[in-house]
Amino acid sequence: MAHEDPGKEPSWKADFPIESKRATHVSRREFAKFLGLLSGAFAVSNGFIVLRAMAFPPEKLEGEQFVANVEDVPVGEMFQFEVGEEKIIPYILIHLEEDQWRAFAQKCTHLTCAVRYSKEEKKIECPCHNGWFSADTGAVLQGPPPRPLPQLEVVVRDGKVYVKEGES
Amino acid sequence: MSNFRRSQNEAHPNKTNTILTGIILLQILFISMQIWFLFGALNNALEENFGFALTTFIGSLLMAIASIWLLRYIPEPLQKRPTKKPEVSPSRDP
Ligand code: FES
Repeated sequence: MAHEDPGKEPSWKADFPIESKRATHVSRREFAKFLGLLSGAFAVSNGFIVLRAMAFPPEKLEGEQFVANVEDVPVGEMFQFEVGEEKIIPYILIHLEEDQWRAFAQKCTHLTCAVRYSKEEKKIECPCHNGWFSADTGAVLQGPPPRPLPQLEVVVRDGKVYVKEGES
Repeated sequence: MSNFRRSQNEAHPNKTNTILTGIILLQILFISMQIWFLFGALNNALEENFGFALTTFIGSLLMAIASIWLLRYIPEPLQKRPTKKPEVSPSRDP
């Protein structure tokens, strides 16, 4: 630039005769139009959720699934197992008391950390953000999880533990 | 030559301003609700809550239609845009 005479218009300016102020200026009119577009985009993405829910309905566990032998899981212990063929979902089996069994999904409903049964507290704990669930019903007792843990029904027959989809 | 519209605009120069602000505020309101809906739907559709997803979708769609339809009411600019192009003299240095 030094060799050019300062009063003269550079040739690139003559080629693109648009002031940068005009090129970068967003009027409120344009802003309103953009908001309309954004609004449409939100509606579309909400529609995708609906489509996804229709295309992939949640898998239901069919029949009963064998989990463990009764003697393998002492009272107060938990046992990990998995259900589902295509989408494998980890579950935990909890031996609450004598003849008291529970099965819950292991993924925390907050941000899908693995929950574990705390023997001392007799509650289900999510270590990630200190979330607590009732070991009896799976309901949220404390912390950020928004929903109770999904639950399966437990059937004990002939010293073997099975799970099946609950009625609700 | 003056017509009714122009004399109105001259008598109330703030009107366009107010209308535009109102439209933008309404759109922001709609979009905030849509964000809220989307958040809820994402959270709920993970579970078997299909009704919630559908309801929020319908609501979100209505709000999108409303905020696009509102664009019809954006007032025209009072003054024409500066037609004066930046002066360029192509002949100066070809
Ligand atoms: S992931 Fe379980 S509390 Fe956050």
